[in-house]
Amino acid sequence: MTDAPRPRGCQDHLLTRRSLTRRAAQAVPIPADAMNGLEAFARDGGLTRKDVLERGAGMVLMCSAAAALTPRAVMEAAAAQQAQAPDAPILVSLYLDGGNDGLNTLVPVADPVYRTLRGSLAIAPETALALRDNGDFRWHPSLARLADLYNQGKVAVLPAVDYADPDQSHFNSVGYWRTGTVGHTLDLTGWLGRTMDLMGTPDNPLQAVSISGDLDPVLRSRTAPVGSVYDPGAFSFWIPGVWGDDGFTSLYRDAARGRARGGLKAARDAYRNAFRMVDMLEPLKVDKDHPLPPTPVAYPDTDLGKDLRNLARILGAGFGTRIAAVSTGGYDTHDNQLTEHAELLTDLSDSLWAFQADLEARGLAQRVMVMVWSEFGRRPKANNTGTDHGAGGLLMLVGNRARGGILSEFPGLSSLDPDNNLKVTTEFRTVYASVLEQFMGVEAGRVLAGMNSTRIPLVA
Amino acid sequence: MARVTKERREIERLLWRAGFGPRPNEAANLARKGRRAVVEELLRPRGRQVGGAPPRVDGQPIDPINRWSHDTLWWFDRAVRTRQPLAERMTLNWHDHWATSNRKVGDTKLMMAHYWVLRRHALGRFRDLAHAMLRDHAMQVWLDLAGSEKGAPNENFARELMELFTLGVNNGYTERDIREAARALTGFTRDWRTDAFGYDPSVHDDGVKTILGKKGKWRPHDVVDIAIDDPHHAPFICGKLWAYFTPRPLPPRFLREMAATYRAAKTDVRPVLRMILNHPSLYADLDTPDFVKSPVVFAAGMLRGLNRGVTRPGWGWMLHQMGQAPFYPPNVSGWPSDEEWLSAASVRARFSAASAVVQDWLEDGSITANQSPTAAVRAAVKACGNPVITPSTERVLARYAVRAVDGRTDPWEVKHFFPERQRVMRHLILAGPDSQVC
Repeated sequence: MTDAPRPRGCQDHLLTRRSLTRRAAQAVPIPADAMNGLEAFARDGGLTRKDVLERGAGMVLMCSAAAALTPRAVMEAAAAQQAQAPDAPILVSLYLDGGNDGLNTLVPVADPVYRTLRGSLAIAPETALALRDNGDFRWHPSLARLADLYNQGKVAVLPAVDYADPDQSHFNSVGYWRTGTVGHTLDLTGWLGRTMDLMGTPDNPLQAVSISGDLDPVLRSRTAPVGSVYDPGAFSFWIPGVWGDDGFTSLYRDAARGRARGGLKAARDAYRNAFRMVDMLEPLKVDKDHPLPPTPVAYPDTDLGKDLRNLARILGAGFGTRIAAVSTGGYDTHDNQLTEHAELLTDLSDSLWAFQADLEARGLAQRVMVMVWSEFGRRPKANNTGTDHGAGGLLMLVGNRARGGILSEFPGLSSLDPDNNLKVTTEFRTVYASVLEQFMGVEAGRVLAGMNSTRIPLVA
Repeated sequence: MARVTKERREIERLLWRAGFGPRPNEAANLARKGRRAVVEELLRPRGRQVGGAPPRVDGQPIDPINRWSHDTLWWFDRAVRTRQPLAERMTLNWHDHWATSNRKVGDTKLMMAHYWVLRRHALGRFRDLAHAMLRDHAMQVWLDLAGSEKGAPNENFARELMELFTLGVNNGYTERDIREAARALTGFTRDWRTDAFGYDPSVHDDGVKTILGKKGKWRPHDVVDIAIDDPHHAPFICGKLWAYFTPRPLPPRFLREMAATYRAAKTDVRPVLRMILNHPSLYADLDTPDFVKSPVVFAAGMLRGLNRGVTRPGWGWMLHQMGQAPFYPPNVSGWPSDEEWLSAASVRARFSAASAVVQDWLEDGSITANQSPTAAVRAAVKACGNPVITPSTERVLARYAVRAVDGRTDPWEVKHFFPERQRVMRHLILAGPDSQVC
């Protein structure tokens, strides 16, 4: 998986984010490339499991049917589909931006070296929270509600997940995690975007949404329309002194229609998607006669709490959403970690707990699974008041269908890798592949190029 | 549409790419001098940095230190009022490059000082800027240089110095280089009681370090020089400068020429900027522009084109919504660029910004039923400072100009819908798809 050569030499200035995006945009014309890609996957023996193939083919049929429909009709179709398949799984990616300190999240209290390496940052075992089935680890004291979910069997935890010869650059590592490809690649689609390419419809950008101002790169697709929403209630357009939106939307829609290339095409596409989204969110529009539906449980008043609350509303409304992405920042705890990390984990734990309770109240809990991930873990040895970039991050799956427990090997802190980091025991792509096949019902090889056959049972 | 010369179009393109867009008639006036002369003026600005009187926001002067979101407003106002567009634009580019956020620094005074360092070196030697950044207190807080001591060096600055600031990700350095550099960078201090910054030789690791193949008892400023002297630096920084001005692929041969020029000029960026700003690809396809404006460029350009200033406190919030609030880059690798700026949510924020601008622009009853559709389009384009309109949008506007007032003959309808037609068309010209690119 690290066969792809690391780029070296004088051309590497091109490996900046902006040039990568441009080159990718040129190198991946749609939609022909996707079809080539699928054929290639098939030729490589990717399509072996008959049941997955049938399911995928059913989806493709839906795509071609939806292509000629209006947004309104798509929504009806999505609702109809939802009625037909009320148990369709929904995968949520929750990215902890900056490199979460896995060692202080699920604390290896039984490891003899932990306290020495962490010094004043070490979490005292007596303050940490016990696991019902494993005495070697304890949860950070701020994770009371997550620990509660764990003890209910709704949290799968995987310590030391990363890739071989891990790169400690935020940029590289998060890029690998997002694309699902380790090493240099010109294909900047996200692994969940490609999943949507396989199972999505051509007219419903709400089938994969990020709750954010900009599209989460993990959702970047080749052909499937995907969208980003940050507040479904507030997504409307308004010009002062113009009566009714009929006054301007027709002009804007016309202006967004013309052919173009490059940035102009991107601008027109963005407007077209935005107005389509307005149509689809219309039923959620807030006014005094139609207040935003209340959520059955209270969420923390934080960005993450609000994002998950809004996501629950979208899922509750039934837009045919199959994949969603949320991210939350601040995990790059180079200093002042003791205070900051505790606050972050409190927010994470309380927000996840509220989201889970909300889903249960809405009857969605059997369908939704949240994958919590970060680009890397942190160095076992603390610097002064913080920790530097490390390897072997902590990955969690939260939801009724997650197989509760600690599901990957923890390598211990007595023997570290050549960079003095935690040794990686589990490749993140193995986790992706397992989730794709066991939860989403997608043949992993169709999403993750060159994927081997290793899987971990992650889904109950 | 008014016939305009190619020269004027080129100047318009230049003022958008190398500044914050033209003021009304500015491009036509400058066209007489010729484009190359304008490039030279941009490279060697003289006179006042900003024009006009400082704006009043809700009746009060902008107060970046004490009032919430006024730091962002303060920077934005400098872009709107700049008379040295390239220097100001490069300051914003360097802010993207050395992306330091007040979110962590938490001290607007330090951030203002940081701005002035970027501004002072905006059109100078990169080496001087890099050394100044190492000494800069906001940077020392942002990347944990202050307080990094021997025995427990903090790698944050060392890593980003190589990865993002001087060499490029995975470009000729190793993890070991980063760790050794972090050792050499120890010694900066901050007294948390007095807030005083300093350098304490007793917490500097004065052992021998090997950084990028060079062995010695390196001190902090040596690390900057070693990185800048590395052969990977010149192509990296020249490639990055290119991408600030054009989305087009960089011809490898041109990159080699830029890198040679940059080295010969002892890291002075001006000769490199001259090459870029005179490159023909910058002026290709003048009628169908393809470079997405960043939010600050979009918003400042809108106000400049209308000869308006920053009078609403809402601009701080609106820039946040659009995704680019100066002093608050999202992370150390800076902001997105080009097409990455655009999403359904971000174009909605740009749309709303134009709504704030057209507010109170035209009273009902200010336009009579005598205004023909053609005259209405012409008036709207003129009111927005005669920007480039693509042929397809011109047709769309023409059709709308007829449709919008069709059958509106009652006096009360004329009173409202003729001005409404103007509002909507101006809004589209300011914020529609065409206005997102330059």
